[in-house]
Amino acid sequence: MDWERQAGAFDETFEAAGDVRPHYRTALSILQGLGTDEIERRERLQKLALLNQGITFTVYGEKDGIERIFPFDFVPRIIPAPEWRRIEAGLVQRITTLGLFLLDVYGEQKCLKDGIVPAELVYSRKEYKRELLGVVPPRKIFTHIVGTDIIRDDAGQYLVLEDNCRCPSGVSYVLENRNLLQRVFPELFAAHAVQPVKDYPDLLLQTLGHVAARTSQKPVVVILTPGLYNSAYFEHSFLARELGVFLVEGRDLIVEDNHVFMRTTQGKQQVDVIYRRIDDDYLDPLAFRRDSILGVPGLINAYREGHVALANAPGAGVADDKSIYAFMPELTRYYLEEDALLPQVPTYLGFRKADLAYILDHLAELVVKTTGDSGGYGMLMGPFAASAEIEEFRDRVRQNPANYIAQPLVQLSAHATYAGGRFEPRRIDLRPFILYGDKIRVLPGGLTRVALRPGSFVVNSSQGGGSKDTWVLAGRETAHVEERPGGAGAGRVLGGMGGHVGAPHVG
Amino acid sequence: MLSRVANALYWMGRYLERAENLTRCLLVTEELATEIRAFNDKLAQAEWIEVGIIFPGAGEATTDLDHLRGFLTDTDNPYSVLFSLGRARENARAIREALSLETFVTLNETYRALEARAAAGLADHADVRDALSAVHTGLMSIVGAVEHTLSRDQGWLFLKLGGTLERVYRTATVLRAKLPGLLTPPPDTEIPLYYSQWRSLLRSLSSLENYRRLHGAHLEPNSVVEFLLFDPHAPRAVRFGAASVKGYLEDISDTREVTAPGRIIGRLHARLSYADALPALPLLDEVQAELAKTHDAIDVLYFGT
Repeated sequence: MDWERQAGAFDETFEAAGDVRPHYRTALSILQGLGTDEIERRERLQKLALLNQGITFTVYGEKDGIERIFPFDFVPRIIPAPEWRRIEAGLVQRITTLGLFLLDVYGEQKCLKDGIVPAELVYSRKEYKRELLGVVPPRKIFTHIVGTDIIRDDAGQYLVLEDNCRCPSGVSYVLENRNLLQRVFPELFAAHAVQPVKDYPDLLLQTLGHVAARTSQKPVVVILTPGLYNSAYFEHSFLARELGVFLVEGRDLIVEDNHVFMRTTQGKQQVDVIYRRIDDDYLDPLAFRRDSILGVPGLINAYREGHVALANAPGAGVADDKSIYAFMPELTRYYLEEDALLPQVPTYLGFRKADLAYILDHLAELVVKTTGDSGGYGMLMGPFAASAEIEEFRDRVRQNPANYIAQPLVQLSAHATYAGGRFEPRRIDLRPFILYGDKIRVLPGGLTRVALRPGSFVVNSSQGGGSKDTWVLAGRETAHVEERPGGAGAGRVLGGMGGHVGAPHVG
Repeated sequence: MLSRVANALYWMGRYLERAENLTRCLLVTEELATEIRAFNDKLAQAEWIEVGIIFPGAGEATTDLDHLRGFLTDTDNPYSVLFSLGRARENARAIREALSLETFVTLNETYRALEARAAAGLADHADVRDALSAVHTGLMSIVGAVEHTLSRDQGWLFLKLGGTLERVYRTATVLRAKLPGLLTPPPDTEIPLYYSQWRSLLRSLSSLENYRRLHGAHLEPNSVVEFLLFDPHAPRAVRFGAASVKGYLEDISDTREVTAPGRIIGRLHARLSYADALPALPLLDEVQAELAKTHDAIDVLYFGT
């Protein structure tokens, strides 16, 4: 195959010598065997299916056609089982740490007293909710659903880029991408044993039910959405349908006597667990932003009294703050007495004097990020930025250093992607989804996002990215793949709270 | 179920029914206008004016083609087929979790297909006719998906309630718009056209075959009016519609108590069971008013808007 490598990036599909990596050989030879006409016919089918099924996302700030298809590339991203086991163990360890950190900063604050994380840094995070100090969420779980973004550096090493502990989205595309690829390219699945993902809704419902206060009856679980015009509305609706639970908006809920009810055609019905897809600040106008019309007045008091569980728990966002991220390796050692299994990107904190000087001196080489933002907003890509943009960021960082961090530019790995009639390398990342219920479970694979422009680093759907089906191969398929020495063993139980799910799920 | 979801289902039912009623009305009117245009231009134009009374909001138009475009794809017209389908879809999209995949997908496909044709521009009569039958087939598929896949729970009842109320209201509106002209017999020379109009009236309420089965091919104005008002079995007849609305309201209410909307529709149904067909117009005014009151009472009782 004609293949030009992406300069500087780890090549997911081809080895340095130019051979297709063993775990991609079958899939690529099937796809190439189809021929261009057949592939284009299948692409058309695939686009029509997405449009007709309304699998779309909403782009903010566009007047017309607010719904867009999330572009899908049919070349699957394939992860061999041993490689996945290492990622999985690393994620379980990481989520365990995040959970302990949250319990601590809203509880005894030992990590602040022991100087592991500067108290001032934590208190100054806008996602740290002082109002909730001393409130322990049901079953001590803050982060029921986490999406952790992982990238591969130029050597192919997996690095954690960020954790999303608030309302990570994208899991609906994981499920829909699998459906779509199975329908449009069934021959790929005949030739590979791919770990199924379709039991995610079942696991999510179990995870949510686990924190219900009323145990005497089947818990009433609802999903709280900001509504039709939210960019992730499709996902909210999709999950409600898949879970078989009510999709509610703020106006559907009322709080009476610190219990939460929904308004139904048969009167009021009590709600036990709210999977909220609304940010903390908008949850309850009485507790946080007064101007919120999306929220439910009194909700936070009901939560405080333990009559309703919120997933994720309010206040959890402080754990995914980009400056707290810098402390994760230390926090893992502090709480678990273990080294972090998954490495992460070196991070300079505007909060630290020495780091700040370095950041300001090296803006043109660094990626600068606003600590509380996500989705690729509020950041500077130094190596690609115009000097005016760099100077503007210099002012912003100077004015409010603690709000910024900087990292060296990490090359994202490149993966074969079908573009204009041929396979070309495009950069990708990975967002696995982790559920924290009676134990910690990681959905095999996750959402692979792909930058659709050649060489681009931008994988965000709002800014021209697409996605791929992500395969974790079942163990027996990948016996020929070398196990790298020093990898973490799978299946270990961490801190008495985590666990590993090894058995393939029947989906 | 959630009041908001019930409300969306009710309106989805109404908009789907409205889109279907108008599509059928356009298919029939297009044919009739083509048939009579050469004989009596004024009469053809009058047909379009009546459609505009039944489905108000279309802009000015003179040619049949412009009328058709205005009613089919003009999104500034709050009663156009595309507008109603769009609203049905918006309601469905806001409560997708309460629908089956098949229901949403058929609705979405039908909407997308018409939207694409509107964007391409409807070139001529053949194009419009083709689009109309495609939409009509699509609407039938949606009804099929609803019938085959939705659970017969409260959500279903609100969807059906909306559809049925819209249908009976639209039948009453069609009769109210058309009968004043039709009940005055024309000069002898126009008798063939006169019967074409009565036939079209029945067809636009998909009742021609049902009527013939009961009364034979001969169209007797009084029996047509009586049939469309009082037949207890024909799905477009006013009395049948009132009985359906009453039935769905009884099923929705989980107590044996008569509800406020149930009381209004129950009285109307009783009235229709014993009333005389003529004079028809005051009766139709009463039907429209009582149906509007029923809607308001449903709104207050279940949707709390």
